[in-house]
Amino acid sequence: MLIIGEKLSIIAKRVREAILHRDRSPIQEIAVNQWRAGAGMIDANIGPAGEEGEALMEWMVTTIQEVVPLPVCLDTTNAGAVEAGLRVHDNTWGRPMINSTSNDPERFPMLELAAQYNALIIGLAVGKGGLPADAEERCALAAEIMGRAMECGVPLEDLYLDPLVLQIATSQDHARHVLNAVKMFQELNEPAMKTVVGLSNISNGCPKHIRPILNKHYFTLLMHEGLAAAIADPHEVAETVKTLDVLQGRIVYAHSYLEM
Amino acid sequence: MALSGVQIFKLLPKTNCKKCGHPTCLAFAMKLAQRQASVDACPDMSDESRRMLGAAAEPPIKTVTFGAGPHVCTMGEETVLYRHEKKFVRPTVIAVRIADNQPDTDIHTALADVLDSEIDRIGQKLRIDAILLDYVSGNPARYQQVLETVIAHAPDVPKILSVQDADVAETALRSAGAKKPLLHGVTIGNFEAMAQVALKHSVPAGVIAQGLDAVAQLTGKVKELGVSELVIDSGARTAGAVLRDNTLARRAAIKKNFKALGYPVITFAGRDDAMLETLVAMTGIAKYSSIVVLSSAEQWRDLALFTYRQNIYTDPQVPMQVEQKIYTVGEPTPESPVIVTTNFSLTYFIVAGEIENCRVPAWLAVMDCEGMSVLTAWAAGKFTPAKIAQFIQESGLPEQLTKKELIIPGYLAILSGALEEKLPGWTITVGPREANALPAFLKNRTQQEMQSKP
Amino acid sequence: MVFTEPKEAFPGSIYDITFGAERTVTFGGENSLAFHGFEGAAPHHPVIAFEVQDSLPDDWPPAVHDVYAGVSGDPAAWAQFCQNELKAQAIALRLLSTHPDRADRSAADAARTVADVLAAVSVPLIILGSNHVEKDAEVLVAAAEAAKGRKCIIGKAQEKNYRTITAAAMANDHLLIALSELDINLCKQLNILITQMGYARERIIIDPMCSALGYGLDYTWSVMERIRLAALAQNDAVMQQPMLADVGMYVWKTKEAQAPEAELPRWGSLKQRGIAWEVITAGSMLLAGAELLIMRHPEAVASIEQFIGELSVTEAG
Repeated sequence: MLIIGEKLSIIAKRVREAILHRDRSPIQEIAVNQWRAGAGMIDANIGPAGEEGEALMEWMVTTIQEVVPLPVCLDTTNAGAVEAGLRVHDNTWGRPMINSTSNDPERFPMLELAAQYNALIIGLAVGKGGLPADAEERCALAAEIMGRAMECGVPLEDLYLDPLVLQIATSQDHARHVLNAVKMFQELNEPAMKTVVGLSNISNGCPKHIRPILNKHYFTLLMHEGLAAAIADPHEVAETVKTLDVLQGRIVYAHSYLEM
Repeated sequence: MALSGVQIFKLLPKTNCKKCGHPTCLAFAMKLAQRQASVDACPDMSDESRRMLGAAAEPPIKTVTFGAGPHVCTMGEETVLYRHEKKFVRPTVIAVRIADNQPDTDIHTALADVLDSEIDRIGQKLRIDAILLDYVSGNPARYQQVLETVIAHAPDVPKILSVQDADVAETALRSAGAKKPLLHGVTIGNFEAMAQVALKHSVPAGVIAQGLDAVAQLTGKVKELGVSELVIDSGARTAGAVLRDNTLARRAAIKKNFKALGYPVITFAGRDDAMLETLVAMTGIAKYSSIVVLSSAEQWRDLALFTYRQNIYTDPQVPMQVEQKIYTVGEPTPESPVIVTTNFSLTYFIVAGEIENCRVPAWLAVMDCEGMSVLTAWAAGKFTPAKIAQFIQESGLPEQLTKKELIIPGYLAILSGALEEKLPGWTITVGPREANALPAFLKNRTQQEMQSKP
Repeated sequence: MVFTEPKEAFPGSIYDITFGAERTVTFGGENSLAFHGFEGAAPHHPVIAFEVQDSLPDDWPPAVHDVYAGVSGDPAAWAQFCQNELKAQAIALRLLSTHPDRADRSAADAARTVADVLAAVSVPLIILGSNHVEKDAEVLVAAAEAAKGRKCIIGKAQEKNYRTITAAAMANDHLLIALSELDINLCKQLNILITQMGYARERIIIDPMCSALGYGLDYTWSVMERIRLAALAQNDAVMQQPMLADVGMYVWKTKEAQAPEAELPRWGSLKQRGIAWEVITAGSMLLAGAELLIMRHPEAVASIEQFIGELSVTEAG
């Protein structure tokens, strides 16, 4: 299970202010914390960003990789910023990931960048206008994205399909649709397609004290369906990852397995 | 039984030849699974696969079309009972009945009303979709004469021939058959002769019987004779009967896969009382009728029913959108505030409603963001400072204003700096986060202004 | 093929609500979807209340205002007219003039209006605030006290003011409307919050927020259908209340109910257009599950009553 640390997001006030003042220490502190808690990659969400996006992504990638030996997940709708991030990314620590392409023509150029820079890429199962109604529609969108990836020369092993987790508070039925989609996505190719979710979106808009409960339980169900990666708070899910690895026989049990 | 996309994929040639118009066989398979593509689009499929897929691809409610040309009516293909599950796909055909025993002047008036019924609503052109010509005179020559009149005046309007006499139907189809009318008139008494006529002219047929059980018996018989495109009429005429029969038929088709009722339903709404007729038609539109037949085209009722059909048949997953433009709330002046938001219709209705309630006139600048709400649109890069600035500049609004103040949604306070740069000469004010705080915000603002004036 | 009617029975059912003192009416109580008498029991017809306002309804278009010319300046006379001339089953008194942006009349004024109207009519009364969160909390408390003993329906309680209004309904033995804005989750949440105060869930009426034909009706339609399915199919006890559709106020401010024929000749007769707008909105809400309607035009009400009569006879025949 690849955990992509979600905490470096412009939505968070502390991150937003650090970005605004180009203050490296909060960014690095958050990155290090996530790495220590088990993140295998760090998500850098800079929002859509305007013209300054390129400089900003460069700064984020170098700031993060200065202190953690991990690849970065470049999270923005701004293709220029993604490319700038890819140029400075230090691949010693693993290949970077682009977050994301989709079935919206505005996101097609992301695939070309993935091919050009040999990057991993998330394919978000959403098209132009309107959310997918169910797992079947998500599969149809995923198949389109897979076709386009092959045309661009992105190997399907490098594509992570994202079924688009929606808020339980407003879109309850989609919690089930996403679980089905995670199962069905894997069947779309041999070897199985990889899947990824933005986990905490499930509890977005919910009261603070129940968010971790929803996140953890949902994550358990997703792992059971065969999820390959999650953009999540590693502190919140590390215990679940380890416990399911034990319960599903992927690692050997010992009384102190949680401490490993 | 329906096959999953992956099951279908295994039956395809897996050559990714793109001849079907899809990038890969897998993508095509997914479209087939959702019935958004036809098996025929693949030229290289084996006959065995084609046979298996053909059976599996048959929707629980059969696709039936009538009419020809640009306004062809397509019905059926529904997959759910409630629109929140997945959208209703084939909007109800709204037809007007003309009887052949009406005086010629009335027939001409009715035709003119139908032809003049087109209304533009939220970007869609809506009109009376079809004419039902009812044989009630008992005089075959009269029916034929009226039919010729209808064809001459309304050649492109799809037609429903309501005739239970096979000879009259045969004659009628000789002149009208080329444009594939719906032949509505198969009963237990005439089904063999009528099926023959329908087959000969390749037109769909309407099956009439009293009650769903009798309808199911009869559709089975007619299908055996080779007519597969059917429409059903259980004789339900009151609102209660329409609700009951349509609900049970739709449930049987979708939940029980009961093929004998898996056909589009025709509902006759005609009543002496115009409002009651409107309500029966409304019931049909809401509750599963594929055709609703009215006694006349009344402009007020057309507008109401077209609007209603649009409401019921929108895709609940695709947010309803309002047109991008500057809306006025109250009577704004060059000094009134400008409030910007996205074109998600619910956002628009709520924001406009709140401004209206507090009676502070304002300009409401509604920007096309594909119907996304404010935060979603921002995250998707559709509601960015550059795009907002461009929209405001090009809206023609700045020329009408003496005081340039733009109020932005509170959730996007972070945009204010960038917007100020991109809209020189404007004051950017951060509004409240929720629409229900707008009245207090606007009133406060107005009061402060009054106080600050010399 | 042999056809067996695929009838559905649900585990849940809807509470029934009786309101009024001298004369009472009852709605709700069914155990199937709206007007599915062919597979379930629907012991009571939906109830329609005529809307009456506490001040001259100067923003009602003439098509509907003219009906009440002569009485619309006096809420008691207006209510009496609805009861005696229009044979209203119930009256909905909207205390609109208490809104700070309108006349900002005091809670004490509102209480006097309520008392006047109650003295003038014997049919059951719904008492509505002006939909101003803070002001309603004051006004409805005073109104609830003034109406003590008459078992009215009061509202609307919302997430931001439900505490005081619920307490007032509880203390004075009234029924309560709980308003949430087109959101099934908030609807359930508000019902939970209200019942956590000790208020009986059988005494709540859900208002999922109405919208007019062409102006979001599809949202109200689907929210109502989902609430009703949660009540019946999932047997969710906090969602088994009857539902209100506050139809008139949304319909009669639309352009379609007001624009003169001279301006929009393609829209046809203004009179019938306005009534049709109210009729379709109301009829649609009934099909989606509403049991209590608030309407304005008597001709629209008459059509809806006929419609209810027709929908209630569904046995095969």
